[in-house]
Amino acid sequence: MAASSALQAVDPEGPVPSGQPQVPRISLRGIRKTFGSIEALRGVDLDIAPGECVGLIGDNAAGKSTLTKIISGTYIADSGSIAIDGEPVSFTSPAEARARHIEMVFQDLSLCDHIDVMGNLFLGREETRWSFLNNASMRERARAMLDDLDIRIPKLTAKVAQLSGGQRQAIAIARAASFEPRVLIMDEPTSALAVAEVEAVLRLINRVKARGVSVILITHRLQDLFRVCDKIAVMYEGTKVAERAIGDTSLEDLVRLIVGKGEEI
Amino acid sequence: MSVTYTERGQGSALADFLSEKAQVLSIAFFFVVCVAFFSIATDVFLTPGNLLNVLRQAAPILVVAVAMTFVIITAGIDLSVGSQVALINASAALTLSFGVPWPLVVLAMLLLGAAIGLGQGWFVAYQGIPAFIVTLAGLSILRGAALYMTKGYSIPITDVPGFFVLGRGTLLGIPVPAIIALAVAAAGALVIGSQIYGRRVVAVGSNPEAARRVGMPAKWTIASVYMLTGIASAVAGLLIAARLGSGSSNAAVGFELQVIAAVVLGGTSLFGGRGSILGTILGTLTIAVIGNGLILMHISPFFTQIVTGAIILIAIWLNTRIFTAGFSFRRKPS
Repeated sequence: MAASSALQAVDPEGPVPSGQPQVPRISLRGIRKTFGSIEALRGVDLDIAPGECVGLIGDNAAGKSTLTKIISGTYIADSGSIAIDGEPVSFTSPAEARARHIEMVFQDLSLCDHIDVMGNLFLGREETRWSFLNNASMRERARAMLDDLDIRIPKLTAKVAQLSGGQRQAIAIARAASFEPRVLIMDEPTSALAVAEVEAVLRLINRVKARGVSVILITHRLQDLFRVCDKIAVMYEGTKVAERAIGDTSLEDLVRLIVGKGEEI
Repeated sequence: MSVTYTERGQGSALADFLSEKAQVLSIAFFFVVCVAFFSIATDVFLTPGNLLNVLRQAAPILVVAVAMTFVIITAGIDLSVGSQVALINASAALTLSFGVPWPLVVLAMLLLGAAIGLGQGWFVAYQGIPAFIVTLAGLSILRGAALYMTKGYSIPITDVPGFFVLGRGTLLGIPVPAIIALAVAAAGALVIGSQIYGRRVVAVGSNPEAARRVGMPAKWTIASVYMLTGIASAVAGLLIAARLGSGSSNAAVGFELQVIAAVVLGGTSLFGGRGSILGTILGTLTIAVIGNGLILMHISPFFTQIVTGAIILIAIWLNTRIFTAGFSFRRKPS
């Protein structure tokens, strides 16, 4: 098993775990990104099929967030290529990625504290009538979005600054998940959530997967990965060191890979 | 053993309202106190003639303060508005003295104001230079340009009765400048409260990176608010020229401080994200009332400046002490 995993680690072009020869929803090749003297990413390849969930794990500063920010157009890669459904794209702004239905839950949530819950859910895609905000329609849809995810927020008109960390995180997730994403990237979405809300997020991931949405999940809660992911990509110091189908790995195996002792064992 | 679950009660709606509107309520209270004080202290203050005069004099400040509220909500500042007013004031008088029809002059001045503002906004939004620096340079450059054009002289405006209506006329007994200013304020409140542009301004001020990430035109939004102060300064410059019947490069000295004081007094946070046009209206009127009342009390005009500054400091200090719940002068630690 170790041999086949190692083979897969050096050959990302190999068959995806589901074994389907379909065009990947998103395909990354040789992604590099440098911040000053720090090589954040040193050539990363990754394929994600439609309806597939990839768990992206690795130690702090392994390059997980940078990679996902490149996919969502927040950063621009120094080199490398991105293809969506086989079509090469190069994003120069987050708006372009969003126009392609790539949604991301950012680690810092990216909410506006001074705007109410409803306004944050619809931030950047406000419904308007003659340039006026159509609050009645947005209120109705916002309520439906939150109910859909079992998120309990009594007042849609509360300013986001007044809410708890978990509620804020729930709003960021609802915002990314509710507008028909094709790729949904979640950077530590459950770090501040309570038990019931974590369950709701994991259910959400399985539900959007069933609709054909590709999901990238970054998390330090390794046990969650086994509930939703189809494969795990392990990052180390700006490279992808391993890719494992979820059935071929275990918690201990992942821990070893993360801390960088994968080859020795 | 049974476990009972109870739902947390909803907080009182009144308490929510009070903490949400703390700034506006406190400045409203302070405004009423000022009006009451000067009504008792002087016989003339509470006469219709004087109150209309206060409105007429406050109009240019209010017009620019509404636009400045937008700028400060984006966490910016525009220090150049006084110089912009002077430049427009002098340019209007010069072009009128060349015999250009006054409606054309008004239109040209509004375009000039928009262009100046957009130029400054470009440096702030697209070149990333702090607004404080850009508009401080603007303050110097534009005042200098006005002085250079007029050689320091005051330019008289004669024989354009249509233009003078803008500054001196009344409609149903209310001064035209006051009507213009209140119309601008109403439009500002509508835009910031219920239009997509206003939502973008608040979002950019609250969290610029979040606004960018959700695909809002963040840079254009920032640049555009400086265009608003440019246009508003042009309106103010025209109102002042029409009221005084002359254009001078020395008009509106210290104007920017009055405008910024009015906005901040009205509860708009200098750190961006929150602000209210109603607060700005009340802040402007409070400053105008204090200035007017002190003159009526025959207090030295030199002393007026000291008192105005001290009152602003005390009002904002009280605001932070009494209404700590809602007042955020600092960004909340996130």
